[in-house]
Amino acid sequence: MKLQWSSVQAAVFGTVLLMACGNEKPLPIFGQRELVGTDTVYHTIAPFQFVDQDSTVITNADFKDQVYVADFFFTSCRTICPIMKTQMLRVYEATTEMPDVKIISHTIDPEYDTVALLHDFAKRLGVTSNRWHFVTGVKDSIYKIAQTSYFATAMEDKSEPDGFIHSGAFLLIDKKQRIRGKYDGTKEADVNRLIADIKKLRREDAL
Amino acid sequence: MRFNMVALMLLAVACVPGQRNVKFQQYYAEGEVLYQQHCANCHQADGSGLGKLYPPLAKSDFLLNDTEAVVCLIKYGVAGEMNVNGVIYNKPMPGIPTLTDLEIAEIATYIFNSWGNSRQMVEVNQVSPILEACSKAP
Repeated sequence: MKLQWSSVQAAVFGTVLLMACGNEKPLPIFGQRELVGTDTVYHTIAPFQFVDQDSTVITNADFKDQVYVADFFFTSCRTICPIMKTQMLRVYEATTEMPDVKIISHTIDPEYDTVALLHDFAKRLGVTSNRWHFVTGVKDSIYKIAQTSYFATAMEDKSEPDGFIHSGAFLLIDKKQRIRGKYDGTKEADVNRLIADIKKLRREDAL
Repeated sequence: MRFNMVALMLLAVACVPGQRNVKFQQYYAEGEVLYQQHCANCHQADGSGLGKLYPPLAKSDFLLNDTEAVVCLIKYGVAGEMNVNGVIYNKPMPGIPTLTDLEIAEIATYIFNSWGNSRQMVEVNQVSPILEACSKAP
């Protein structure tokens, strides 16, 4: 009798657990999609090549089988970037135990933000390049990938106080290089949602 | 009875600190608004700074030891190494030349009296000669 009870309990528990997992709504997939034959082809991040704070060349291959978060900033910015970096640091700290989660921050001011300067910036922020890449590169390539791959605004504008306009967006990219979430990197609540979505995405990949 | 006690206490709080306190409150409130607008992005709303990038203002020895330097750098900016609580910071901070002497006094009053810092208020008639002096400095 006792045994029966526990097996009933286990069955109920298992069903509830299954329902809970099965009910989790997958994150949306951003961008245009095409139908090729019977396959749906989604928008993915275009091939890129940048250099990070350790002078290492960073390409899409470095994010193979990785979930990553991308943003655009510059070190001398005093408007939204410091807030974005405060919030991204929260993402960095929340994902310490997740070796398959990375961060890439692109400078949109490559003339001023040299590799040496980015190195110093990352060091002062207290983060390491194996989890958080600060990249620089050809200015037009950075602007182009921002606008066409990540759907983020980034360009020069002399009328702005710091000389650039850019969005404070954080983009969540999955292991297939598809955009799965867009968050306001200046808002704590939105970044909490991002941290929850990273965990959700990893669960999805585990299935 | 209870109401009377509360009323008495409120009266005591309102009256004892006197005129100077009202002025302090005004400076402090204005300073807080200006701080959120111009300073908090980097130095954080709680004055804690960010890593070794932006120094803390809360319980900062640099801040509490040198009123004049603080007043000047708010307006004219600062560059080069800076030692704050034993940590070397080295990121240039742009000044905000559009701030008036009164606004700088309000910001100074706010940061000198928040997050565990407690110093006297900084009045505009103290700030003006300091700014005058550092505007002439090379």
